[in-house]
Amino acid sequence: MNQQIKNFFSATAIGAAALCSIFASQATAADWPSDNIRLVVPYSAGGTTDLISRKVADLMQNELGTIVVENRPGAGSTVATGQLSRGGRGINHTILMASPGHAIGPAIYPGLRFDPVKDFRFIRKVISIPNVMVVPASSPYNSLAELVEAAKNKEVTFSSPGMGSSVHMSGELFKSVTETQMVHVPFRGSGEALPALLSGDVDVSFDNMPTVLPHIKSGKLKALAITTPKRSPFLPDVPTVSEAGEQYGLSGFNTSAWFGVIAHNSLPDAATSKLTDALDKVMESEDFLAFLPKFGAEAGIESGDNFRGFISTEVKKWAKVAQEANIKR
Amino acid sequence: MENFSEVLTLFLSVDNFVAIAVGVLVGVIVGAIPGLTATMAVALALPFTFSLEPVTAILLLVGIYKGGMYGGSITAILIRTPGSPAAACTLLDGYPLAQQGKAKKALKTALYSSCVADLISNIALIFFASYLAKIALNFGPPEYFWLICFSLTIIVSVSGDSVVKGLIAAGLGVIVSSIGLDAVYGSQRLTFDSYDLMDRVSFIPLLIGLFAIPEVFEFYTSKVVPHIRTAASGASLTLAEFKRCLKTVIRGSLIGVVIGAIPGTGATAAAFISYSEAKRNSPRKNNFGKGEIEGVAAAEAGNNGVAGATMIPLLSLGIPGDVITAIILGAFMIHGLTPGPVLFQENLTMVYALFCGILVSSAVLLIVGNAAIRYFSLIAEIPKSILLPIVLMFCVYGAYAVNNSTFDIGLMLLFGLLGFIFNRTGIASAPFLIGFILGPMFEDNLRRTFLISKGDPSIFFRGPITWLFIALTIASLAFAAYRYWQNRIAATNAS
Amino acid sequence: MKNVEIDIAEIQERYYGRFNPNSILGATFALVAILFLYYLVPNYIEEPGYLKNPMLSPRFIPLVAGWLVLTLSIVMLIEGLLRPPKHTASEELHSGIPKLRWALMMAACAIYMFLFEQLGAITCGIFASLFLFLASSVRHVWVYLLGFAFPVVVSLLFIHVLNVPLPVGTIWE
Repeated sequence: MNQQIKNFFSATAIGAAALCSIFASQATAADWPSDNIRLVVPYSAGGTTDLISRKVADLMQNELGTIVVENRPGAGSTVATGQLSRGGRGINHTILMASPGHAIGPAIYPGLRFDPVKDFRFIRKVISIPNVMVVPASSPYNSLAELVEAAKNKEVTFSSPGMGSSVHMSGELFKSVTETQMVHVPFRGSGEALPALLSGDVDVSFDNMPTVLPHIKSGKLKALAITTPKRSPFLPDVPTVSEAGEQYGLSGFNTSAWFGVIAHNSLPDAATSKLTDALDKVMESEDFLAFLPKFGAEAGIESGDNFRGFISTEVKKWAKVAQEANIKR
Repeated sequence: MENFSEVLTLFLSVDNFVAIAVGVLVGVIVGAIPGLTATMAVALALPFTFSLEPVTAILLLVGIYKGGMYGGSITAILIRTPGSPAAACTLLDGYPLAQQGKAKKALKTALYSSCVADLISNIALIFFASYLAKIALNFGPPEYFWLICFSLTIIVSVSGDSVVKGLIAAGLGVIVSSIGLDAVYGSQRLTFDSYDLMDRVSFIPLLIGLFAIPEVFEFYTSKVVPHIRTAASGASLTLAEFKRCLKTVIRGSLIGVVIGAIPGTGATAAAFISYSEAKRNSPRKNNFGKGEIEGVAAAEAGNNGVAGATMIPLLSLGIPGDVITAIILGAFMIHGLTPGPVLFQENLTMVYALFCGILVSSAVLLIVGNAAIRYFSLIAEIPKSILLPIVLMFCVYGAYAVNNSTFDIGLMLLFGLLGFIFNRTGIASAPFLIGFILGPMFEDNLRRTFLISKGDPSIFFRGPITWLFIALTIASLAFAAYRYWQNRIAATNAS
Repeated sequence: MKNVEIDIAEIQERYYGRFNPNSILGATFALVAILFLYYLVPNYIEEPGYLKNPMLSPRFIPLVAGWLVLTLSIVMLIEGLLRPPKHTASEELHSGIPKLRWALMMAACAIYMFLFEQLGAITCGIFASLFLFLASSVRHVWVYLLGFAFPVVVSLLFIHVLNVPLPVGTIWE
């Protein structure tokens, strides 16, 4: 189609949205939501993000009325976040379930036309899932230190379910901090990555807790460390990377798979506070608390400005790691 | 014996039977709609299972999975529109059969083959799960690499009249599949800075475009419309015919079981491998691609043989072999269950209740499938001038639904044009599809093997599985060369 | 529509001359492959600065596939020159198509391709279906009514039952 016509249409859409937002920001808190809320999931239906989003949406409905979950996968999660940043129809009733891809995407995908921090309103981090540094049961390495020492002299491979995943980036961060010879072996999805790890074809992985927990329990994998600053209640005996790798400069090492609700930065304050309240209530509910351990997950802590700060740190961290790992963009 | 009664009490509830029936029915319908795949149906049904009992929830999803695997073949046979990726193989012979007025025969062949394969697959799941799971774990990147090499040899059997043209199509398929961000280095490959292309070309729009859209284009660019009775009132499948196919069905099922048990290969590859093997072994090999029920039987047996077997790595190892089982894994976790050895220790009763349900689903598929044939075959009675606009609409909506993106509609029409050109120039579309599916798998596993080898190429020949597939690849190529030579001699003698 | 009956067997088998479809196709594919190998690959596939193994390069598989296509299309070109293919019966069906017919089809495709977001799924469906009915000059009025009913019903089905948010159309707001 003619670019001019396209521009005209998008300009009209933006104009209409701007008009809407003026009216909406004048509205009082009692009026919001005046329409069904749309929760955009930046990944395809059926994945972990989708599953968590639908659960959260389900629980939020008690507070905020009907919530329509919409999947918009593409280019990591950047297609959906890009769309959100551009605003448009119903932007005041649109929220998005952000995940590590939100902070990693800008480090990997070239020329994104949005700012992962400034363009969004950060409501609340809902869930945080630690990554676990695991090696196969047959592996000669029994501790983080042994692995790092070995990796200084020879190649050690680490697997991930795909480039740009939190699993991959955790590995790259580890590699760049410890200055070791680690080689990334990408798979497509944990269904392909896991067998290669279990059979010992790859040496180590920084996989998500729910993926590897059953295999740690059944003794097929050895957990060397947890990637979050605090130990996980699911594996209380396993040290954190920070603890186990202090001598290698790993203190402060912090990566996780997290899920949090964000919106366009024009979201009215009234709506923001309503959403925050609703999410607070959801996260206190018994249903949610019973849901968490099934995914080896912990409740997210940050909300509002803290959440923004967290994202801002993440974005900077991954940009640096991607550059050092020579990932093109 | 106490356990047995526990299993029965857990399984014998109205809810479970309703879940299976509803699941299979929804699966067949959604699977038959172009663009809406079983994967999508399972994903969309997942939230509804949150509030169900675990066994009921899983059975509903499994029902949809199995129904969807079969449903895809209905529209593939009737209107050359594969409802699901694996059905692309079914249409190679199914659609020609329908054009000969033998739609009913083709549909019944597909249904019975699917049900038999499903049953065999389920039995494999119940009795040989632990054994097959061990094989799956022995499949590392080098083993995959050789499996893919072997699978690539099937291009020869689906190339139609000209192997050269088939290989060109396959090469083009590989090129198209390489579009997107590079899996290892993250560099851009032929993306032209378009975000729509960075996650690679979407599969479903390509599939519909390649097979369904050319039919539409063909209709509106032809002067003469040969009047073809695709009426499903044609002759049904005779017992003798089915007996003739039985060997093919069993072979296909076993291929499906093995492929299904290995994570990451998929039903489409299984269907094509089964088809290729059937063609090689059939006394009617020259009739393949022109409307041979054995071809339909082989394709459907291959893809439904996968359905039960993908549950093997899921249940016994907790590893999802494809997207659908990944979603089912999510359903397990939502109910606080972790598939894998632990499940067998702690919830054995539940596992067996699931097995009962999965077995019942094969029978339900037979009943629902028969009913579906009756109603869906009405499509065949509609004149093309009315049917095709509606088919095009479904294709467009379906292509959009995959990623909720209008880009995919354009992509579908573009591949439609390519498929149309292929049709007009006598190039088979199936090799292009195979190149597109297997190309990335070939590349990924080649690179993974190099990455894990740490510089030692002997890893390519590291064990019996690699040697087996090397032998199969060589044998398959030798056989193809022999056949080619024979045909050449026959052709010279004839002229 | 008129169903012109053609007895396919009556069309005589005859050979093409030197400019036969296979040679032309071979030449076209060869050109495409050369364009791909010498323009697209070097310009649009970035290669990382350091590679342990040339087979790990992002360019490796595209190059292999490209060379395969190039070689085989040259084979096809030569084969076409040496052994020209025969005319096939179905080709006769394609000559002399009414222009309006395929123009309407192109219009229908263009509507789906370019106006889907703007007009919305329902409107696009209606327009495209009506165009296509016109193209095959369907005479019955009820069919055209169907052209209205189907897109509406199917869209609503997609949106409300299958949970697929088809676009409603940006110009209707």
